[in-house]
Amino acid sequence: MAYLELKHVRKVFGETVAVEDFTLDIQQGEFVSFLGSSGCGKTTTLRMIAGFELPTSGTITLNGRDVTFTPPNRRNVGMVFQSYALFPNMTVAQNVGYGLRVAGKPKAEIDQRVREMLALIQMEKFAARYPSQLSGGQQQRVALARALAIRPQVLLLDEPLSALDAKIRVELRQEIRRIQQELRITAIYVTHDQEEALSLSDRVVVMSQGRIEQVGTPTEIYNNPASEFVARFIGHINLLPVHLVSVSADHLSVRFGSCMLRVVQPEFSPNGAAPMLAIRPETIRLGTGSDQDNRLVGRVESVTYLGAVIRLQVHVEGHSLSVDVLNERTLSLPRQGEDCPLHFSPRACWLMPSANT
Amino acid sequence: MAQVTLPTQRRRSWRFWAIFWGVAAMLYFFVPLYGTLDFSLRMKRGEISLLAYEIVFADPRFWEGFRYSAIMALVTIVVSALIFVPTVYWMHLKLPQARPVVELVTILPFIIPGVVYVFGLIRTYSRPPLQLTLQPFTTDILIVAGYVVLSMPYMFRAVDVGMRSIDVRTLTEAAQSLGASRLQLLVQVILPNIRVAVLGGGLICFATVMGELVLASFLVRPALGPYMQLLGLAKAYEPAALAIISFALTWLSLGALQLLGRGNVPQQMAGR
Amino acid sequence: MKELRAARLYLFGAPIWDWLGLLPFLAFVLLFLVIPSANLFAGAFVNRTGVFTLENIVVFGNPFVLRSYLVSLQVSLVTALVGGVFGFLVAYAITLGRAPGWMRGVIMTFSGLAANFGGVPLAFAFIATLGRTGFLTALLKGICFPAGESEVCPFNPYDYGFNLYSVTGLVMTYTYFQFPLMVLIITPALEGLRTEWREACESLGGSQLHYWRDVAFPVMMPSLLGAMLLLFSNAFGAYATAQALTGGSIPLVTILIGQQIRGDVLNNPHEGYALALGMVVVMALTVWGYAVLQRRTTEWLRR
Ligand SMILES: Nc1ncnc2c1ncn2[C@@H]1O[C@H](COP(=O)(O)OP(=O)(O)OP(=O)(O)O)[C@@H](O)[C@H]1O
Ligand SMILES: [Mg+2]
Repeated sequence: MAYLELKHVRKVFGETVAVEDFTLDIQQGEFVSFLGSSGCGKTTTLRMIAGFELPTSGTITLNGRDVTFTPPNRRNVGMVFQSYALFPNMTVAQNVGYGLRVAGKPKAEIDQRVREMLALIQMEKFAARYPSQLSGGQQQRVALARALAIRPQVLLLDEPLSALDAKIRVELRQEIRRIQQELRITAIYVTHDQEEALSLSDRVVVMSQGRIEQVGTPTEIYNNPASEFVARFIGHINLLPVHLVSVSADHLSVRFGSCMLRVVQPEFSPNGAAPMLAIRPETIRLGTGSDQDNRLVGRVESVTYLGAVIRLQVHVEGHSLSVDVLNERTLSLPRQGEDCPLHFSPRACWLMPSANT
Repeated sequence: MAQVTLPTQRRRSWRFWAIFWGVAAMLYFFVPLYGTLDFSLRMKRGEISLLAYEIVFADPRFWEGFRYSAIMALVTIVVSALIFVPTVYWMHLKLPQARPVVELVTILPFIIPGVVYVFGLIRTYSRPPLQLTLQPFTTDILIVAGYVVLSMPYMFRAVDVGMRSIDVRTLTEAAQSLGASRLQLLVQVILPNIRVAVLGGGLICFATVMGELVLASFLVRPALGPYMQLLGLAKAYEPAALAIISFALTWLSLGALQLLGRGNVPQQMAGR
Repeated sequence: MKELRAARLYLFGAPIWDWLGLLPFLAFVLLFLVIPSANLFAGAFVNRTGVFTLENIVVFGNPFVLRSYLVSLQVSLVTALVGGVFGFLVAYAITLGRAPGWMRGVIMTFSGLAANFGGVPLAFAFIATLGRTGFLTALLKGICFPAGESEVCPFNPYDYGFNLYSVTGLVMTYTYFQFPLMVLIITPALEGLRTEWREACESLGGSQLHYWRDVAFPVMMPSLLGAMLLLFSNAFGAYATAQALTGGSIPLVTILIGQQIRGDVLNNPHEGYALALGMVVVMALTVWGYAVLQRRTTEWLRR
């Protein structure tokens, strides 16, 4: 039995269905992210796990105990808020020790634990400061320590980094991961930043309109998106309308405009609908490649510098194809309006059913 | 499961208490108002009439009091503005370090009870060398000065807030570079920009003066406050009518304040 | 430039010349605030022949005076407390308690009005409502039951020791402006409480009690203290309402001072000064106590 189980959880606010048929098992010590666009029900799900909202139907089981209707203060769940939510009238040490104080722990034990926690977030020097004397990043670390001090069964984080600037965000997310690994704590992390979700998590739950679209490891989510929604939502992708021509033992043949392309996809099963060929921009290369590769020719529409990569929009067979090229100093790129050959491996692309036909 | 309904129930009982206290507050507001209104309309036995209001409005002493208080209020507003606009302007421009002193002084009327202040004022100026209470005109000077002091906390705050919302230094430099004198600068540039704030402070002055009792009554001038008090000693229905009239006046002043666009209502202004 | 600077005289970092800009204000304040207050202060410490003395303090041995101070303090404390608690509950109801929106609008508007409705007219309104022949008294008196020969009218409040022209009545009347004042001050403070604090407290295992005791009240303490100070001083200095309500029959200090101004009821003007000075001392002590409490409870607000 899984550590944290959500079964057919549904939440309705008046007319809006915020969460629909949400079923998920989370193992002890796992780091799971909820990823999805704004308003898709991530926060609501998290708050139901924390006990701040009651599900309209469904059950939540934590460590073998049905906690669906347990009030939040008896769930032993740690929560980190987007806005830090530190108590402004307490010092850092008092904030971190508050959960233990409420539980009536002896002072010596509280002090000891507070020291441990401050060491964990490397903020021993700030114990006597008030939250208003800390930077946003420091406040969020304290909030993390405060949530961890009570040794929660699950740590819930609701977009903990979105109020911080980009550099601190990356630093702090690595720190969160380190601490989670060190304490082997079960964590659920809500974000709408896919880079965060992919880099931190053991598993990612992609949500859309209150439903789970896909659950999987970051690699699965990125390389094998289960639906067009996930494919489009995570990373950048080219989806080309193609016709399936033939299926042979080791590959599929499809026609894209006037070109024939090969796809190596052993698990493919045709289901009648017109398929789409999915290919990530970074797997398309410039040049003619070898005989094994799929080859295309197109006209460059635009060249955009993104820093590490350069994105080309190439017009091929009536469609605009994104192509990402790693930025090297000696690189000579085709100019806008020039023709250029492209190639990609049959293993780099896959067919998926088209959603809207 | 019994547990299922528990949190919802708790929420519902909260809401019951919220409505309970809300209703209690509204009763406390409306019952005396309605009671007074009802009472004021029953001067003629057995029927509803406006007789009490007619009597009040037909009483020349009411109009005398009203006129006197209104004139005093306007003079008070002008004097207050003449004192505070240049002072606060100067403080913002040149003397930010004077702020604590000025703030402390202007808050003093909050700490010294009104009666005590008036006591000191009257005892000081009702005997030589600075006897002001001999003639009506000099008495009025004393009264205006007292009113200016009593409404000082509000007027200072209003002007200060107004001055803070404009960039005093830039406006000054811009006007001076165009050749304006200090007086022109104050009257033509600063004042129009803090007009709303000064008007707001003025309204509070007005309400303070219209309801003020102590000064006018001890200096025996024909103001509205003493008139109302005397009427209260002698009559039954007319005072109720007066209460409704002054409530309406308060409402009008507050409404005017809100129209001026200061969303927040001042915390208090009438004399107690 | 340097010589020019050196040639000028400075006072607290500003040229003396600049301080002259405050002269009109300071002159006014000197004439009409400082001198009258100083006069009072000095008068309290001299005798009839103008010699320094402390004997005017005996005025506080006068049972009338002592009683008036006690009654004033009692009325101020009780109305501050009653108004404060009632106002707090009302403010809670219209914010976190989620009373209907229209109720909130009505209460906020009327709080602004009622907090400003004081003085003589307020006394009139209460006399018309709860006086011997007032609207509410008449309404209550009208509830009668036939009992044998006569009727029993059990609800005449004046038969049960209620009297508007008493301390109770005064407290009820003052409450009319006290609690709305509390609502006006505390509503923003309650709105400033963030839901996340409550949720954080709950998720750390805290109950409602913990939240209010450890977070909400400490955070609101500056506003609460300020509100209590204002309510207290408001009632302590009130004169017009009490005078108009009771015609001076309740012995408040302010009423006594009023009588002293009118006709030297203490027979010794200098004892009158001492009497008035006592009020300033009470207010000063209150403000001092407020400042100390404020300093103690708001360490977290200072950087
Ligand atoms: N208390 C509430 N009352 C009514 N509707 C609500 C409430 N809380 C959330 N909703 C609705 O439920 C849906 C899901 O909201 P939720 O906050 O879970 O989204 P989210 O995925 O966290 O979005 P975001 O990324 O913007 O934080 C939204 O349509 C929202 O409007
Ligand atoms: Mg959210």
